[in-house]
Amino acid sequence: MLLTIDTRDPRPIYQQVADGIKGLIARGVLKEGAALPPVRQLAADLGVNLNTIATAYRELQKDGLIMVKHGSGAVVASSTAAERTQAELLRPLRTALTELVLAGLSPNKIMRIVVQELRTVTKGSK
Amino acid sequence: MSLSQTFIQQSLIFYVLFWIIRVNGCVRRWRQPLLRGPEWFFSVHVHPDFYSSAGKKLLQHYRMRMFIPFAVEIPLAIAIFLSGRFSLLIWLILGLTALIHANHLVSVDLAERQARRFGVAEDGQPVASLMFSLTPRRLRDYTNQKLEIALALSTVIAIAWLVRYYLDAPEHYTWRFVFGRPAFLLYIQAGLLFLKRGIVGWRTPIPQEHADEHFRAREEARKFYVKMIEWQRISTAAALLFWPVLLRTSPAQWRRLFNMWFLLWIGISIALTIWIELERKRLRDLDRRARPAKLPDFLGESGNSRWPVCYEPSAPMLVLKGTHGYSLNLANTLAQIGAAYVAGLITLIALLRIGH
Repeated sequence: MLLTIDTRDPRPIYQQVADGIKGLIARGVLKEGAALPPVRQLAADLGVNLNTIATAYRELQKDGLIMVKHGSGAVVASSTAAERTQAELLRPLRTALTELVLAGLSPNKIMRIVVQELRTVTKGSK
Repeated sequence: MSLSQTFIQQSLIFYVLFWIIRVNGCVRRWRQPLLRGPEWFFSVHVHPDFYSSAGKKLLQHYRMRMFIPFAVEIPLAIAIFLSGRFSLLIWLILGLTALIHANHLVSVDLAERQARRFGVAEDGQPVASLMFSLTPRRLRDYTNQKLEIALALSTVIAIAWLVRYYLDAPEHYTWRFVFGRPAFLLYIQAGLLFLKRGIVGWRTPIPQEHADEHFRAREEARKFYVKMIEWQRISTAAALLFWPVLLRTSPAQWRRLFNMWFLLWIGISIALTIWIELERKRLRDLDRRARPAKLPDFLGESGNSRWPVCYEPSAPMLVLKGTHGYSLNLANTLAQIGAAYVAGLITLIALLRIGH
């Protein structure tokens, strides 16, 4: 159950933490009911500001993935994010596909990348 | 030989052993800067000519700082010996143990910071990619259930025995005399458990490169410290159980029993010291395999964190780097519990007047 943080990554740290936890939930490494460290403890362990972790947890809570219990940490509430419209879900996919097309990759290569990434993301999940 | 003479004799033996045990520690600390080879100064990667230029002085200064505890100790020890108050030797040993460790931590940190100016530039940069384990580590995963049951049982038996003894004891045996030492030992036991909890839960990010070696070195170090605490807990529980035995003994047998206990304790301490040194050597070898890396400082220097303590709830780390050095952050839960524990210990000692 490892989180990776990269200082070269353009995403802010809170986003990397939130995405990392989302990835662990998607792969089934973090199952429903699994405990996550309290905001204060995680911030102290990682050496970041309290607000960084609080923002990451808020985002996960907004997506319905975790339930924050005041003072005692958080637990994974669901392995599926809160319901969103298809248009909302497709938006980031379309952005990513556009980036790949603009990078000059062929549709076949893009398809292979998508399938491979999907396998990585869902590896271990039901 | 009177009782006070027995205590004096044992305090002197403790002090002599303290000197002998320290020899190995001094040799280890003396060699520590060069442990990874001539291209390293502690965990700072340096140029090959480092030790013939600026590094020579840094090394000398580090080694000279090793003698600070001796500079504090020698006048105090002379004063104790001249005044004849040998019971103070135990407090001198406890104080020096803390001073030696604190001095070493500060000295290594200072030496590394000074050496970074002369380090290999590309190795002085913080690593970009970090890994962090979210796996919960529970106290029970590092707990031997049989040992816990034995410790709990011995404590209950000792207390029950003492209560019974106190009810039947002659009037001049005050509650302070009967329960003072056990209360102190129980408090130490609680402190050791708190320390164990802290060590089990201790987590920091590690560099993504050579992550396995770093994880392994860290996990082995954790197990070593947990084992050391368990040994301390066993000896504390044994001392607690020994107290009612000692009280029940007739004055004629008392000294003999006490001497036997003392010799056994010394024997176990020597065996444990050897084990600790062997384990330290193993851990050093493991540590050598994990190449040191500088981790990025996400917070940077905080202008608000003043030396030696500060209160920064938004940055809940135990230690913060301020403009004037490191600062203990009292907003950290461990710092709060630790401060409360030390205050409680001082109060308990004052209440029980241990040693009087």
